[in-house]
This record gives sequence, C-alpha cells and structure tokens, in this order.
Amino acid sequence: MLASHAYAQNRTITGTVTGTDDGTPIPGASIVIKGTKIGTQTSPTGKFTITVGPGPQSLIVSFIGYVAKVVPVSGTVVNVALDPSHKALTEVVIVGYGSQKRQDIVGSVASISGKDLVEQPVQNFEQSLAGKASGVQITIPNGVLNTPPVFHIRGTNSISLSSQPLIVVDGIAAYTGDVSGGESGGNTLANINPDDIESIDILKDASATAIYGSRGANGVVIVTTKKGKKGNAVVSLDSWYGVTKPYRLPQVLDAFQYVALKNEALTNFGYNLATTYTALATGPDGNPINTDWEKLIYRDGSSYNTSASISGANEKTSYYFSAFYTKQSGVLQKNDLNNKAILINIDHKPNKYISFGGKISYSDNQNLAATTSGSLAGEAYNTGGLGREAVLLPPNLGPVNNDGSYNLSSTGALGTMADKGISISYTNPLVALDLDRANNEIYHTVGNVYFQLSPFPWMSLKTIYGIDYINSVNDAFNNPVSNFSTVAGVVTNAASATDSYVQYKRSVWTNTANFDHTFGKHSLSLLLGNEQQQSNTTGFGESRSILSDPSFNIIQAGFTTTTASGNTIGKNYLVSFFGRFSYDFDKRYYLSATLRKDGYSAFGSDSKYGYFPSLGLAWSLSQEKFWEAAKLDKIFSSFKIKGSWGRVGNNNGLGDFASYGTYGTGVYNGQPTLSANATGNNNLAWETSSKTDIGLSFGILKDRITADLGVYKNDITGLIFPYQEPPSAGLPTQPSVNIGSMFNKGIEFNVDAEVLHSKNFRWNSNFNVSYNINEITALIPGVTFFTYSTSSLETASINQVGFPVGNLWIVRSAGVDPTTGLRIFVNGQGKQVMYNFIGNKYLNMDGTPYVATSGIGINQNADAVNYGNTTPKVVGGFSNNFHYKSFDLNVLLTYQLGFYVYYGTQATLTDQRFWNNSTLILDHWTTPGQVAAYPKVVFGDNVSNGTSYPTDFNVYSGNFVKVKTINFGYTLPHNLLSKAGISSLRLYVTGQNLFVFTKYPGPDPEVSSNGTGNSNAGVDRNTAANGRTFTAGFSVKF
Amino acid sequence: MKKKIIFILGIIVFSTYSCQKALLYPPLPTSISNQDYAPFSTPARITAQVLALYSNLRSGQLLGGRYQIYNDVKAENWINATNNSVTAYQTWLESVNSGSSEVLNLWTQCYFAINNANLFIDGMAASGNTVLNNPALAANYVAEAKFVRAVAYYCLLQMYCPSIAVNGGASLAVPLRLIGASAYGNYDMAPSTVAQVYAQVIKDLNDAETGLPVAYYTTGTTLDPVSNTTRAHKNTAIAYKTRVYLSMQQYTNAVTEAKKIAPQLIAPFSATTGVPNALQVSIANVFKSPYTTTESIFSMPFVNATEVPGGQNALADYFNTVSTTEFYLNPAGVVADTKWKSTDARRALVSTVSGKNYITKYALGSPFVDWAPVIRYSEVLLNYAEAQVRATNTLDLTAINLLNAVRGRSDATTVYTVASFPGGVPDLLAAIVQERNIEFLGEGLRWADLLRLGLPIPAKGAVASVPANDPNNYIWPVPSSEQSNNKLIGR
Repeated sequence: MLASHAYAQNRTITGTVTGTDDGTPIPGASIVIKGTKIGTQTSPTGKFTITVGPGPQSLIVSFIGYVAKVVPVSGTVVNVALDPSHKALTEVVIVGYGSQKRQDIVGSVASISGKDLVEQPVQNFEQSLAGKASGVQITIPNGVLNTPPVFHIRGTNSISLSSQPLIVVDGIAAYTGDVSGGESGGNTLANINPDDIESIDILKDASATAIYGSRGANGVVIVTTKKGKKGNAVVSLDSWYGVTKPYRLPQVLDAFQYVALKNEALTNFGYNLATTYTALATGPDGNPINTDWEKLIYRDGSSYNTSASISGANEKTSYYFSAFYTKQSGVLQKNDLNNKAILINIDHKPNKYISFGGKISYSDNQNLAATTSGSLAGEAYNTGGLGREAVLLPPNLGPVNNDGSYNLSSTGALGTMADKGISISYTNPLVALDLDRANNEIYHTVGNVYFQLSPFPWMSLKTIYGIDYINSVNDAFNNPVSNFSTVAGVVTNAASATDSYVQYKRSVWTNTANFDHTFGKHSLSLLLGNEQQQSNTTGFGESRSILSDPSFNIIQAGFTTTTASGNTIGKNYLVSFFGRFSYDFDKRYYLSATLRKDGYSAFGSDSKYGYFPSLGLAWSLSQEKFWEAAKLDKIFSSFKIKGSWGRVGNNNGLGDFASYGTYGTGVYNGQPTLSANATGNNNLAWETSSKTDIGLSFGILKDRITADLGVYKNDITGLIFPYQEPPSAGLPTQPSVNIGSMFNKGIEFNVDAEVLHSKNFRWNSNFNVSYNINEITALIPGVTFFTYSTSSLETASINQVGFPVGNLWIVRSAGVDPTTGLRIFVNGQGKQVMYNFIGNKYLNMDGTPYVATSGIGINQNADAVNYGNTTPKVVGGFSNNFHYKSFDLNVLLTYQLGFYVYYGTQATLTDQRFWNNSTLILDHWTTPGQVAAYPKVVFGDNVSNGTSYPTDFNVYSGNFVKVKTINFGYTLPHNLLSKAGISSLRLYVTGQNLFVFTKYPGPDPEVSSNGTGNSNAGVDRNTAANGRTFTAGFSVKF
Repeated sequence: MKKKIIFILGIIVFSTYSCQKALLYPPLPTSISNQDYAPFSTPARITAQVLALYSNLRSGQLLGGRYQIYNDVKAENWINATNNSVTAYQTWLESVNSGSSEVLNLWTQCYFAINNANLFIDGMAASGNTVLNNPALAANYVAEAKFVRAVAYYCLLQMYCPSIAVNGGASLAVPLRLIGASAYGNYDMAPSTVAQVYAQVIKDLNDAETGLPVAYYTTGTTLDPVSNTTRAHKNTAIAYKTRVYLSMQQYTNAVTEAKKIAPQLIAPFSATTGVPNALQVSIANVFKSPYTTTESIFSMPFVNATEVPGGQNALADYFNTVSTTEFYLNPAGVVADTKWKSTDARRALVSTVSGKNYITKYALGSPFVDWAPVIRYSEVLLNYAEAQVRATNTLDLTAINLLNAVRGRSDATTVYTVASFPGGVPDLLAAIVQERNIEFLGEGLRWADLLRLGLPIPAKGAVASVPANDPNNYIWPVPSSEQSNNKLIGR
C-alpha cells in the first residue's frame, strides 16, 4: 500500500545541464531537490536522472564557475542551462595555506583561471601570464626557448637579490629560475603542463603575502593543479600544431652594399685600396657570394603539443591523470624543446573525519641548442653569439667554400675569401650549428602526500609532505674543426667537451590546524601552522679538451686533458611558525591578521629569526542598510573598501652561506693552508618590505561589471649590498650588509565586464592597468650610485639615489656635423664635442682640440647622464572574449608604457669595423653640407656610432601595445557529437605575437640581455629575435 | 582509543621535529666557519693556518713579485717598455695617485696578511694553545705570525710612509692594527706615527726571535732546507732586524743583530747557530732550483702548475725576456757602472737582447715558478758593513771585509782596502750602497735604500728626478678607498 502510494506519487525526472557559454553539457554538475539532501550529479554527457517526491518541487542546479539555478519541476524532462558566473564573489580563491571565498578576502589577490592559459605556444606557464592581471609585469627576454621571463609584481623590489615572486605549486614552494647549464633556457617551471592548471592566484599586498614571511616580499604566485570532478571519467585531449616565424629582424646590407660601404670606409681612413679591400667572391654558381646570415641562423620554428587527461570522482575518491608532450623548435637553428610530463592527483575521503591523498608529477625536459645565442644573461658579447653573428657577419663571405668545405681562416675564424688585408675574429656559425652541442636535460619530480583529520566540524588538522627534485644534466661539445691552435706549423685541435650534473632537492613538511566558528553574525577562523623546508644543491662535472681523435664528439671519448668543472654545493633550511586570524561580522566588517616567524639558515647567527606581521581590514558598504536606503544598491551591487599593512621579507637569491665568515683551503709549497676567505655578518638578514595598501572592489549591474582599484606603497629597507670596509681592516671580502632602501608606489585597476549577453552573442571583457613608480632612497653610506655592465663589457646601467633601479647611463649626442661629417657628442656640461676616429681626436665645434677636465675626450664617467628608466611605469592588458553561437574569439592585447630600451645592437649594426651594418647606415655623410643620420664612415671606427660607450641615439622609448594572442574557435554542435560518444569538440586557431605597435626599431621592446637582473634591465645587446606563432588545434572531451 | 593514540603520537612527533635547530646552523661543506674558533679546533688546522700566513705574504701582489717589482722600478735602474698602467707603469713614472691599482692592491694585501696574523695570534691565545697542548710549538707558531706581521708592516712603511729621519719619526704612517677583524663592523682607525710602527715591527721581530725554532728539521738533526727557506727561524728574524734597524738608522742595533749570525771578523762569514746561513760560491746557484741554499734566508716558493704568482705579477714577466718583458735595464743605471766589471759573475745574470739589457735571475717563463727572494745572506753582510761604518764613522776593517766578501764572491779580481777609499767614510759608504745596487738588482731593495738615505729618485729615460722632499710623488699616497672608508685615516 505504502509502496504503491510512493510509486504513484514519485516522478522520475531526466534532463541535461549545459552551459550558456558554449552550449556544451556540464558533467559533474550537482542536482539537489530543494529542501532535501537528495541529490545526484550529471553524467559525463551532462545528463541526469532523479526521482522527486510528490507535489510542486524545485531542483537546485549548481556547478563551480556557474551561477546556481533553482528550476521548478514541470513534466519529466528538465533541461537546465547555467550561466557562467561573472567573477562570482562566491568563487573560491586559494590563499596562503588555505582558501577563502572571494567576498571574504581582505588582501589583494588576482586570480587567473587555468582556462586562460591553455592553447598558447609557450614553454612555461609564466610566459602566458602577461596582461592577465593588474600589477603583474611579464617580459619575455629573448627568442631562446624556455627562458624564464622577467616576472615582477608591483615593480622591482630588490637590487642585489631576486625580484621574482615566490611560486607555490600545490602547497609546495617550487624551485624557480633557469637551471640549464646549456645554451637553451631551462626554466624549472616548464614541468607544469598549462592544461593541468586549475587556477593561478597572485598575492600582492602584505595581508595576503605576509604569511609567507621572509619569502613573500616580491609577491606570491599560487598554482593549483586540477583534481578530478564528480562524475564518470572524463577523457580530454588537446592537441595543436604551430609554426613560428622570426619577426622584425634588422635589415642588413647585402654583399654589394657591404663591399661598397666598407671600401668607402677603408678609403676614408687612408688605406690603400690596392692592398686592403673588401671584395665580392665568386660562388660555385659563378655569381657573387651574397650570404644572408640571418637566413642561415634563423629558421621557421614549429611546435607540436598534445595534452591528454582522464579524471573523475565519486563520493569518496577523486582522480586526475594527465600526460603531456610538447616538441617545439625555436626560431634559432637547433634550439629545441622536448618536454614530456605526467601528473597524477588522487584524493580519498573514507569518512567524514579523515581524508588523504597525494600528487606525483614527473617531467623530462630537453632544452637543446647547438651553440650560444648570445642572448642569455652574461652572453651579450660572445663572439659566437648567434643573435650577433646573424647581423654582424659580412654578406660577401659564405659559410662554405666552393668545394663544399667550411670557410675557415688559419686560426679557425670565418675565412675572409676575396677580402685583402681585413682580419676577422668572428666564428663561422655554420660549423658550430653543425657540430657543436650545448644541451641540457632536466628531470623534474614533484610530489606530495597529505593526511587530514577533522575530529570536529570546526576543526581540521592537516599534514602535508612534499618534494621537489630536479636533476639537471648538461652536455656541451665544441668541435675540433674550427677550434684548434697552431704552434710552429703543428696543428692541435682544441675540441672540448664539458658535462655536468646538478641535483636540486627540496622537501617541505607543513602542518596546519584550522579552527572555524560561527555564532550569530560572527564568523571566526584561526589557522596555525608549522613548516620546514630543506633545500640541497649538489653538482659536479668535468671538462675535457684536445680530442685524441677528431672523429669523436662525446665526453667519454679520448681527450688529453681533464679538469673539474661545475662543482657546486649548497644547502639551506627554513623553519616557520605562522598563524592567521580572520573575523567578520555580518559579512560587513572584516579583519584578517597574520603573523609568521621564519628561521632561515642563510641569515646571520644573530638574525636567524624574523617576524612578519600583517593586518587587513575591509568594510562591505553594500551590506549596510544605509546603502540600500541611499539607493546606492541600484548602481553598485557590491562595494567594499579595504586596507592593509604588513611587513614581508625577501631572501630570494641570498647565498646559502652569505652570512658566514669562513676560512678556505690552499697550498703553500705543497702543504695545505687555511686562511680567512670570506667576511661574515652575523646580522645579515632578509630585505624588508613594509607594504601599505588601500583598495576598493565594487560590482555594478548585479556584478555584470566588477572592478578593483588598489593604491599601494611599498617601503623596502635593508637592501643587501657588499659593504666597503677600510682596506686596512684586512678583511678577505666585503661583507653583505642590509643597508640600502627604496620604495615602490602605484595604482592598479582591473575591470571585468560582461559587455553583451544575448542568447547567441556574448562579449566579455577584461581591462587592467598598473602604474608603478620606483625610487632608490639609499645605497651604502657615502655612495650615491653604482653602475652595472652588460656581460662585463658595456656599462649602460646605473642605480642612483633618487632614481629608479636599473636606469640607463648614457652619453648624449647632437647628430652629425654637416660640414665635417663628424659625430657630435655632448659632454657632461652640455658642451658639444666632435669626434674624429682618424687620430682618435675630440674637437671643439670650431675644430680646435677639445681638452676635457678628465683628460681623455668624451668619457662615460665624466660625461654620461642618468638618462631614464627601463622598468615600465605602466603595464597592463586588455582581453576580449566573444561568443557567437558556436564560435568564440579571444583577443588579448598587452602593453607596457613609459620606459626606455637601450638598443645596443644598433651600435653593432652601425660599427665601422668589418662588421656588416644595418641599411640605416646608407644615410651617412659623404659631402660637406649634407645633413645625414650617420657620420662619415671610417674603417675601424667603433666610437662614433656607440660601440665604445652607450649613446643616446641608440636609446628608444620602449612603449608598445602588442596583439599578444588571438584565439578563434568553433565548437561542433552537441547533437552531432553525442552519437559518437563525444561530449565536446572544439577546433581552434591561435596567433601569438601577431602585431606590435611600437616606435622601438629593434626586434622587440620586450627584451632583456641580462635575463631577470634588476640593475641592468632594458638592454637589448645582440639579443636573438623573437617569433610570431600561428597554431591550429583541437580540444576534445569524451 | 586508537584515534587518541594516533593523535597523541602525532603531537609528539610534531613537537619533536617542528624545528630542527641544528639545521639552522649548517656546517660549511667546502670551507671552515670562523665561529667558535673552528679554525683552531685541530692541530692540523692550526699548522695549515701558519702556512697560510706565509702564503699571504707570497701573494703576487706582495712578496711573490710586485713588492720587489715596485721597489725596483720606482728607482732608477729600469725603463718601462709597455706603458701598461696595470703593470707598474705609473709607479715607474712616479705618478701614482690614491686611485692607482698598485697603491690599493699592495696596501690591501699587506693588511690582509697582517689581519690573518692578528686573527691567528688572538685565536691561539683563546683556543689554539689549548688544542695544540704543546707550549713550545704554540710559541713557535705565534712567533711565525709575529714575524709575518712585522714583514708586512715593514713593507707598508717602505711604500706609504716618509723615512723615520723625516720629522723625527713623528710623521703619520699607517693604522697599527694588532687585533684581528673577522666580521662586518666599524673599523675606523687613525694612523700611528712612523716611529710607532717601526717600534712595533722591532717588538714583533724580537718576540719572533725568542719564539722561533733555531731551525726546521726533516728528521732528527737533518736540516730541512725547504722549510728553512720558506718559513721563519731564529736567523730569519735576526736577518730581518738588520734590515729594519738600518731603515730605522739605529746602526749599533743593526750591528748587534748582524753579529749574531755573522760573528766572524774576516771571511768566510756564516751563521754559527741555527741554520748555517752563508754565502754561496756562485751567486747563480742561488737563483736556480731548488732555490734553497743557505744563502736564501727567506724566499717565496712557487710550484709548477699549482702555486704560481698569477698573471702580470711575476718578476720574470717584468725583468726578463721570457714573457711580456715589461721593463728593460736603464742604460744609464747601475749597468753603466764601469767598476762593475764584465767578468763579475753578476754581469752573467744580465742578458742583452736586441740591444737592450735584462736580468736572468728569474729564468722561467709562464707559469713563472722561480722563487721570489725576500732576504739573502749577502744583504745581512752588507747591512752589517754599512751599519758598522755608520756606527763607528771610520773606515772599519770588518766592514771592508764584509764588502769584499760580497764583491769577491762574484769578482775575485776586485779587493777593497782602506786605500780604495781616498775620500774616507763617504767613499766606503758609497761603495757599500753601490754594491747593494749591483748585488740586489731586480730583488726590490733599491727604493728602500733611496728612502732610508733620503736620496732623490734619479731621473730615468724621460722621467725626471724626484727630490726627497717632493710632497706628492716621492712616497705613495694612502689609497682612496682607505680615505673614503676610514673616517679617521687623516692623511
């Protein structure tokens, strides 16, 4: 009777849940009968079946990232279309050692969805963060694959230490930076498949970062990888193929122009063209040799990328398995990246008290290159640098002789062919590209296990142990064909092989206790934690030279000499205790206070421990009665004011033993010695950032538009510098001392808007802009500036009190004298001085000899000026997403404004040695009265056009707007696919680096010859160009 | 129950391992911390530190080459060939300024050697003596440190300070640091006077003479010629005192010291206690491998491939033609002395290449492993001779014997007698000083002689003579880095 009653009244409802964004079914969405705990989930194809009781019933349909909907049940089929949430305030944000709802966050946190990082031809996810969040500057330094970008959050925060943020992946602070010892980049973060990223949260202010204590000052980036979502197994496959073309390469002279120009320069110097000349050589086809070295060195790169995953979950267990393969070839010949990675995330919750799980990821990352690109930090002046040789080598010389052999001189340099009296010291890049190796392979394992106990609903205890292990193996070989020495007619090869092995091992053990309590309108939350991190580095290797038989090319072969190479060792230990207290009253008033105590082995023995506090307050005005009363709620659906203050430290880049006074070993007539070799400082500590923040978050039109405005000031003290003690103190080295100071202050604004929303057409837009000012306020006592070089040669950078970090230090000029054709420089006092290379003479404008107070003509120390900043004052992005029926289009623009770039390569391109020149040089002075851009060409002249000292005619505004990516996709109709068991299939094409709007004449204003260095940023010296990439791919889910 | 046990166990494990304090103070993997007297924790480390004190002196910036080079080229016997400011060109030009690299580098290396000696003396008192548990050996070691400190201060006095004769020794000299510095701190310190620094040098050498061993032995009573040349023994301290007292113009004291190791009144002279220091029959042998004759009282050793003076520091690189050939002999300098006969064995150490003269005392090219001489027995004899004449103001026969011993060893045909000096004492003194000029050419004594005697630097090539009262160019200035970082330097 009862059964039949139930049978009579219960109804079985079926339906499909789809998203209104792309119309595809949503697997794993939750269906709950309103007022009950009865519920189910959608299948991988978005379908559900649920039995509801009698009477009018409603279903609550929800899914992460979508606005939940309450749907009344009518009939037996209920199809639900969920709207994606516009930056929903209920969205969960990962913060330090926990997560919070966005609306409860007091600190400044920018979140980026993993979805925004995929389908891009990058080698590591950092490269795709440009323009995605306010306060974030990403600069790709060069066209070499897998180099770490310059990554600054709210400006440059250090001078001697690193200014790169702390990156925390699934709770474990990751190794960052370049660990390749080869000539390709070796960004450690290439181990993360962008497809595996669920979200990236960027912590910016003290309230958010102080819980990371002595490591948080540069901001913290929290990467969270995907976990399985409830429902049956979802198989997804994403695959693309792309082509990269080098772009904006300098236009150089061809052989005919080169020979004419250099012979003119030789004549102008006074050489006898009968004995000293450049000349066209005849190639095997009988035509003059006219080599395009750029073509020989650059190529059209290609990239292939496939990522596959299987994921799913039931009530107790969730799993996520993925595999990833990418093979990319860069725009430089032989520069390849082969990356394979797997990731497994498993979580299990047997009962309501216990949960545990773990993660394991492994990647094998091959960073291959034949030889130096001249683009990595420290390499700008490598004579074999490919970026340099591509523009510098004479086009009248070929890489091979007519008989097919390499064109080499008697010393192994590039042979001079038909030239007479010209000597060339640069290498033949073809030999190195064919025969050399400078490879690196990184084996990277990251894993963790955790166990969580929740004995009471208000208490949870968690322990997590994680590891980050990197083995970096380097293999380099220099060929015996172009490397040899000749003594008394006997040729000995100078081939060499250098292999090294470096192991980085980090383990992190974190224990946290979380207490939550809500009573009445009060919500309290307390986090207490302890963390220990140990990092060990050890490396060794050998360098062998002079091959026993020139046919060999590996280190295991016979060589005559062997020396140790790449020996390195380091270890450090960080122990921390931390807590966070959060409180809110009625979701109106918020308070968040954090405190961390860090003990770090690298700090001096009297400064082992630091305390890093923060306090944040927020007020949600839109929750107040008066807000409604004032009808402000009609405009602002949400409105929150927040402020924070805190102290955060920076220890990134501090040497493991920098605080130690040490004795080192040596020998005295064969017997061991022990002598002081490093000066200690027992007070050496972290650099301290005191950050103050005021922010405003609001939503308009039911949060269709949400915006954040932030104003901040970051006072940095205790900047570490080597302190110059009196030499008579007899100390072995200059001790590192916390002594300098500077500040960053700025404003940032971010707005997300759903511009249009109709059934068939949607348009979402994000715009963000950040303005930052940096100023050094103190260096070391008695010192007002330091200068910095690029690759130890050209000193183009200066840090000066009262100016930003990494400014350009430049000699000014005033064009070319139309009467004499000489370059006019401007000395430190603003006086014009002409330069004549013949006789190396500096002249006053009336032609009389110029006598400088410093005694030697124009001299950088006396005459250079602090020219301008290299860190952009304004950075940001503008992203637009369009959906029309099954088509989608995303356009991302990035921009950086208000900075200078020193285009040092242009000095190379106009240098009057045997080097080839840019076609710009064709506008040079030849006859009196002529107004020309470049002076009279005189062979050997390395001063007039900026090689000897950096000069203002090679400095340009770096302002740019880039069409960074355009992604166009088409999603196949659902009904078509479901028959094939496919839940979604999307086809897409992507273009990256499509256009750049800039007045900068070099390949790319987004450049750094000095890697991520703070003090010598904004220098483009012989850097290899970047590429423009087109890819096409598909993404399919089963 | 089970849960509770797990919970309690968890708490215990957590509280035990939540902070592993030892890991905050990691032992250094490739060097030794200077904390808690770790460098003094074993006898082997202490011995290694003693040897390091010498190797600090041996630096190419100091007695491994450049000190001797500066002393030679600052005087009149050399002409610069390369105009390279990195290789003593400004010193030769008499135009160094406070920013010149040689002015900074020599100062820095002297004080580095001094500071390490100070650290060692401090550390021995605080810890090393106990660890060593051998008072005699501890005294030897401390004496060696004091010897090294004295040598380094003496070098500073020669380059940066006026002669003690100027101003009665009251001129400002250099900071007299006797306590070791090991960490960041305030090291402002005023300079002491010339007389005060000399007094400290003598004090250290007296202490050294007391504490040093009479000799080093390989086994039993077999002398160890290598250690007796490369480490200080009693006779080394005594020999050094003859040099220092001469610079201090305390001639009686110089004679007293000299008599300790040259007690004879007539040739052959030799030390009768400790290491039997004596002249060799052939001077050429002194400059040949193994460089350890009893004439070489103290020299700086070098070893092929492993211990070399470093680029642009080696004596051979400057004075011989085996490498860069930075200098050649001034034709108007000591080689022009007609009384220096062509048959003199020391003329055989002068070579002529393409019409220019060089010396071959340092014969080996790169990596330049000829040992660098610091003090030889022949200097002791000439110090003795000069001091004796100046102390007695007579044509002293012992002094003439001493002079003959040195001259006669290389030139048997010249024998001085009283009759050789018709001008009396000044003639004899001039002969002794000239003998030093010949004997120690290329060994870094000439400038120190000009300085102590208050003589002008003679002109050479295009470089004009510098009078002894020249305020700028006669002695070196204090390096600018010291001036800007030591607020009390005052000069």
